[in-house]
Amino acid sequence: MKLKVYRYHEGMAAPRYDTFQLVPSPAMTVLEALFQFQEKLDDSLAFRYSCRGAVCGTCAMLINKVPRLACRTQVESLLKGNLKVAIAPYPAIGETVPWDPEEEVLVEPLPHLPVIRDLIVDMGIFFQYYRFIAPVFRPSDPDPEKERIMDPVAVKKLEMYTNCVLCAACHAACPIVGQNPEYLGPAALAKLYRFHVDPRDVDEDSTLKRADIPNGWWACDLYGNCNRVCPKGVPPRTAIEKAVAALNKEKKEA
Amino acid sequence: MIHRHDVLIIGGGLTGLRAALRVSDAGLNGAVVSKVHPLRSHSVAAQGGMNASLGNVKGEDGTKDSWKNHAYDTVKGSDYLADQDAVERLCREAPTAVIELEHMGTVWSRLADGKIAQRPFGGAGFPRTCYAADRTGHNALHTLYEHVSGRQIPVYEEFFVTSLVTKDGRCIGCTALELMTGQVHGFLAKAVLMASGGFGRIFDKSTNALINTGDGPALALRAGALLKDMEFVQFHPTTLYGTNILITEGARGEGGILLNQNGERFMERYAANSVDLAPRDVVARSIEQEIAEGRGYDGGYVHLDLRHLGADRITERLPGIRQIAMDFAGADPIQDPVPVQPGQHYSMGGIDADINGATALPGLYAAGECACISVHGANRLGGNSLVETVVFGRLVAEKIIEDVEEMTLANDEPVKAAIKSTNDRIEGILRREGGELVFRTKDMMTNNMSNKFGIFREKQKMREGLDEIKKIQEQVGHVSLQNKERKLNQALIRFLELEGMLLLAEAVARGALAREESRGSHKRTDYPERDDLNFLKHTLVGLQDDTMHVSYKPVTLGVFEPRERVY
Repeated sequence: MKLKVYRYHEGMAAPRYDTFQLVPSPAMTVLEALFQFQEKLDDSLAFRYSCRGAVCGTCAMLINKVPRLACRTQVESLLKGNLKVAIAPYPAIGETVPWDPEEEVLVEPLPHLPVIRDLIVDMGIFFQYYRFIAPVFRPSDPDPEKERIMDPVAVKKLEMYTNCVLCAACHAACPIVGQNPEYLGPAALAKLYRFHVDPRDVDEDSTLKRADIPNGWWACDLYGNCNRVCPKGVPPRTAIEKAVAALNKEKKEA
Repeated sequence: MIHRHDVLIIGGGLTGLRAALRVSDAGLNGAVVSKVHPLRSHSVAAQGGMNASLGNVKGEDGTKDSWKNHAYDTVKGSDYLADQDAVERLCREAPTAVIELEHMGTVWSRLADGKIAQRPFGGAGFPRTCYAADRTGHNALHTLYEHVSGRQIPVYEEFFVTSLVTKDGRCIGCTALELMTGQVHGFLAKAVLMASGGFGRIFDKSTNALINTGDGPALALRAGALLKDMEFVQFHPTTLYGTNILITEGARGEGGILLNQNGERFMERYAANSVDLAPRDVVARSIEQEIAEGRGYDGGYVHLDLRHLGADRITERLPGIRQIAMDFAGADPIQDPVPVQPGQHYSMGGIDADINGATALPGLYAAGECACISVHGANRLGGNSLVETVVFGRLVAEKIIEDVEEMTLANDEPVKAAIKSTNDRIEGILRREGGELVFRTKDMMTNNMSNKFGIFREKQKMREGLDEIKKIQEQVGHVSLQNKERKLNQALIRFLELEGMLLLAEAVARGALAREESRGSHKRTDYPERDDLNFLKHTLVGLQDDTMHVSYKPVTLGVFEPRERVY
């Protein structure tokens, strides 16, 4: 049971990989394995963490060439080959270093975001796109005295998108983001779609228009990696397909 | 570098962001400082819900809920240690706070008639807990962050606050270490609001995020504020065996039951009326007793059985905990009972603050879990902490807005001096060689707290525990780090957190030893009864010349007379 970890900090000519023999414990997660590395081998290993319960979205990284949350991914399941995710290949998950998937867990920083140190990436551009789509609820009528009434069925549809934890796993898994860094990406688009399907929000079409630009809805090629890697079951690809269909219909009618 | 703001908010969880929005409404220049991105705050993990007497669901006998019912349940739940004027304020404002979030866009679960859904929670006489499936904190925090980000309120992300700066007995700002660069920044503000969360991680088995290290209360104590009721630590009855991730009380609210190894619904013996939905202190003690008396499973847990609820109800109302149980314990609640044990969950105590959030240190305010206003007293009811964050986040901001109107910023000098001394301190830590490792020292502390200051407490054990804390406090001065860099040095942050945690551990220990009674979460096997004559009062802990002093102050009563708590 070994951990093979990407190491890089400013001033290094190229990244290196450190291999660490883990002391096994039952149901150990990759996050726990990283803490073990930090405590037993090298306390300068850098990685983000917070809830350790797969709800805060802090610890997304590239684990065995798939973007996932380190706290939700168990080492043993990986070694047994139980956690394979079939995603469309793209350059950022090509071979970087030889590794034995039956013996080692390979941990690297999320692709498509600049590495600051080791497993910590700069999330700046990711949140810049989030802000670009202006994810703020705009009610279609003035606030009533009490709550707005909402159909429980509509809530269910909406929940699928509000569950996003903004971990950027989809951003890192998207082949288009890799080709076109100006593409808003699956997370921001799924977030925008969340407001579109909110029956309390302003009329639907104006919401979709916020990403009606070449680097918005139209840049997606429907690879679907985003749907497959999302740790919370959010389906950005589905949202994008529906948004594109709605915009096309509107354009045709016009 | 010195940053200037009218109001500086330390912490980017629900309290901090709600306050930031209110400060921005008033046209003031506010900013948030947080050691993590605000969306990574522990508020995001809150599952079950937010209490407010909306009255959308009628009680058993067809009656409608009211703020007074909410207040009564809260005071009784607190074992009469909560300040009743603060509780009244919380419960009167709670419906507004929930509706405000709804108006801002938070998605709540709904009843068939389209109103916000409410579910039963422990210790509550009505189905009062408003919820968004079992992701209530997530939905609320994302909404608030969307507005904060939309209004471009400045957020200093991944800044670890290293000291509060005072001048002439007033808090005028702080210093903070920017993680990415290693640079120490200064902040000047007319008012500082501490909203930094709880200190659960001083214990070994905790539901809390790893970042809940109580940095705020430790900073406040060092700067001259007082801590209140620190011995009251909530142990949640149902945390997942192995990782201690929270399994919401909502699971029992929806009808889940607890079973021991003999398949017996043991809560019937401990709380005849409320059974599995008795308050947390009662249920946690009952589980602990079942385990101690050999009726738990090997390793020390019992079963939470949801299977009779059926797949539809589980997937609709409890999807998040189903996922957690599957991911972290390999148990699917639709088919398997979930292994659970009690674990540290919430800090009832915190920075002593009045009903407006003001502390003993002028210029410093506190709200949310880091504060003790006190609305939870000796035991918090489930669903009351989320509502506290948004109610007092707004109300304390309003008080600050009023107080800073006539004020000007202090001059730079004290902050400049604080930057220098912080830099010296950091350099000193980085220069140290040899000694114990920071991780080992932290484990010693957390094990000690769980073993000596857990669910059942006793004088001799606690004495040993306090001695151990003092020993570790001495050792920590020799702890050294391998990583000597200024930039992005997480070991350094871990060390700075640990220093503060050891102060809080001592405050918990001193408060617990001095309180020779049992009340709410504080259960003394050597003093098994509540003693209103001697201990119906708040514990205060202050620091003078590096020595901790314990004192007391009265509880505000006035509405509900203390009575025996029966569930």
